[in-house]
Amino acid sequence: MNRASEGGMILIKVVNKFRIVVSALLLCIASCGDRNDESTSSESQSSDFRVALLTSGPVSDAGWHGSAYEGIKLIEQTLDAKISHQQTNTPAEFDEVLRAYASSNYKLIFAHGFEYQDAAIRVGEQFPEVTIIVSSGGRFSDNVIPLIFELEEGSYMAGVVASRMTKTETIGMVGGVAIPPAEATFTGFEAGALSVNPDVEVLVSWIGSWDDVAMAKEAATTLIRRGADVLIHNTDAASFGVFQAVREARALGEEVWAMGMNRNQNDVAPEVILGSAIIRIPEAFLQLAILWTEGKMPSGEAYYAGGQSGAADYVVNPGLAGKYQPELMAEIDSVRLGIINGLISVPRIGFLERVGGSF
Amino acid sequence: MTNRDSWIALAVSLSALLLTALLTAAALALGGYSPLVVLQSLLEGSFGSLDIFFGVTLVRAIPLVVIGLAVTVAFKSGVWNIGAEGQFYAGSMAGVWVGLSVGDYPSFFSVPLVFLSAAAAGAIWALLPALMKIRLGVGEVVTTILMNFVAIHLVSYVVRWPLQESRGVFPNTDLIDESVRLPIIIPGTGLHLGFVVAVICVVGLSIFFNNTGMGFQLRAMGGSKEATRVSGRARIPMLLIVTFLLSGSLAGLAGGIEITGRTFALYEGMSPGWGYTAIAVALLADLNFIAVLVTGIFFGALEGGAGAMQREAGIPAAWVSGIEALVLLSVLASDRILRRLLRSKKKYDVKERELDV
Repeated sequence: MNRASEGGMILIKVVNKFRIVVSALLLCIASCGDRNDESTSSESQSSDFRVALLTSGPVSDAGWHGSAYEGIKLIEQTLDAKISHQQTNTPAEFDEVLRAYASSNYKLIFAHGFEYQDAAIRVGEQFPEVTIIVSSGGRFSDNVIPLIFELEEGSYMAGVVASRMTKTETIGMVGGVAIPPAEATFTGFEAGALSVNPDVEVLVSWIGSWDDVAMAKEAATTLIRRGADVLIHNTDAASFGVFQAVREARALGEEVWAMGMNRNQNDVAPEVILGSAIIRIPEAFLQLAILWTEGKMPSGEAYYAGGQSGAADYVVNPGLAGKYQPELMAEIDSVRLGIINGLISVPRIGFLERVGGSF
Repeated sequence: MTNRDSWIALAVSLSALLLTALLTAAALALGGYSPLVVLQSLLEGSFGSLDIFFGVTLVRAIPLVVIGLAVTVAFKSGVWNIGAEGQFYAGSMAGVWVGLSVGDYPSFFSVPLVFLSAAAAGAIWALLPALMKIRLGVGEVVTTILMNFVAIHLVSYVVRWPLQESRGVFPNTDLIDESVRLPIIIPGTGLHLGFVVAVICVVGLSIFFNNTGMGFQLRAMGGSKEATRVSGRARIPMLLIVTFLLSGSLAGLAGGIEITGRTFALYEGMSPGWGYTAIAVALLADLNFIAVLVTGIFFGALEGGAGAMQREAGIPAAWVSGIEALVLLSVLASDRILRRLLRSKKKYDVKERELDV
């Protein structure tokens, strides 16, 4: 048999084998084509407000990236915007992706993470009509707006609670890496604690890592030995170490409590967490999108998402609400109101830098 | 290749392409996405216009081609360098350090200096596995992989302490001076001089391996180390060192090119596994330097198109990776079927046997 007919035979065999699959597929494609028509017709009804999101991790993380995706979903539902999301894999593609969105008429781009800031400044300069929001960014230009989450407002309230709850007049903080945004939350916590009882001693321990559980547990245990009986943290996965240390101290009969941070962690260790200082990322995104549609988008300055927009808050763990005195519950509400009204000034750490001229 | 053979090649390639399209369409349809829209965004995101082809596909191909060359050099000489990822990071660390230190000297001085130091750092990163192989007989597959992790964590250290930006806030370095950045060769597209460097490397390596005595010895070592040794005409340890250094310096150079051409600063996670993708680039090219340029561009197109699939067709990132893998598997399978059909005529080929993995 010559080679051509050999090849032909193989092809025929292959085709025979896949004929059924192929016919099924064609049906699928046909039906999908129909579905696509429907979706385009519904798209034509929506406005031409286009919002894009870039994340550097999977939006299935139920945390930082996931809440950003919830944010643009909220914008889609509330403002009838057309949304799009891309997960980037490397800083080398940031410019390309931002440029792709900017040139496809996406006027509002959320770049979710400080890592995007240099690329955002470069692309923002090429597309002056586009606004790029950089979450937790540190640099801004006319159309590149850092979105600063004022977690220190939530942790100020946590500080008030900790100060009221402590029996030893000593409270502790376990931090990840001492970068300004993390330091700001501890400054807020300390200020909140001292505002209700100036005699409270506030201990700090930085472990130099966001997710070293063992190190965090060791640091928390040390703080407990030194007398701290309410512990707050600002880490990512390492927080489990703090909660574990508190659990073990309680097993030994000590009256020790923990507090959550960043996200509502009350479910993580419901028996030891009094409450959490949180940021609500989706609400902050929606606020910014509303400002954009109203033409009130800040220019050449940062946008602060704090208690005022409901983006920063302290959430009581409902399971342990019985541990709070009714007066304390009322005090939490009045502190929240005071922060929103500006009657209470929460200390802040500035780390913003304007970028002008050629970049 | 006879006329009949090329018809077979065409038939197999086309049927593989069709099969890929159908498989992908089936997967997408099952997930509730429209295959036509996805295919359209994949093609438009990589070959949609000249701007996109130059600015997305070719720009993304640059690191894949240069690291692909690094892998090809090693594999062709019988060295299994799986450490291109780490050598790339070593190159980017050295590149950004020199790039920040030189300040605003003229570009024709500072840019080559960055390239040289990046290549040197990559070579040094490959030297340790080379010495361990020659002196202690430790297999390079393990040592080069382990060196990857060392490099990745070293980057995390470097961007937090010694080379952290001058404001000391974020874990990345300062941006390098305008004068140390690669010029754009096609205005308005983002295609930078790195592409020319990649092409020069392709041509240079091709000439080196095919037309010099050293190149011949390396190929001989790749064919059979034992035969090369007993021939008495080549010193194997020296050839091994040359291979490791050359391979490492190419991967390091890719780091220097990315720093000066695209990111202008060192960040964590610069490489999304390019050092491993480059192995596929090299093997798909059958360890042919010229073909690495083509397969590198193919992978660049795939990555660029994958981004557009997320943006335009709303396909989640995990799906996109799955589709990328499907396309790649089909291309590899068709490549192998093709070779099996055409092989009977060729004599038994040592290289092919070793690479049939």
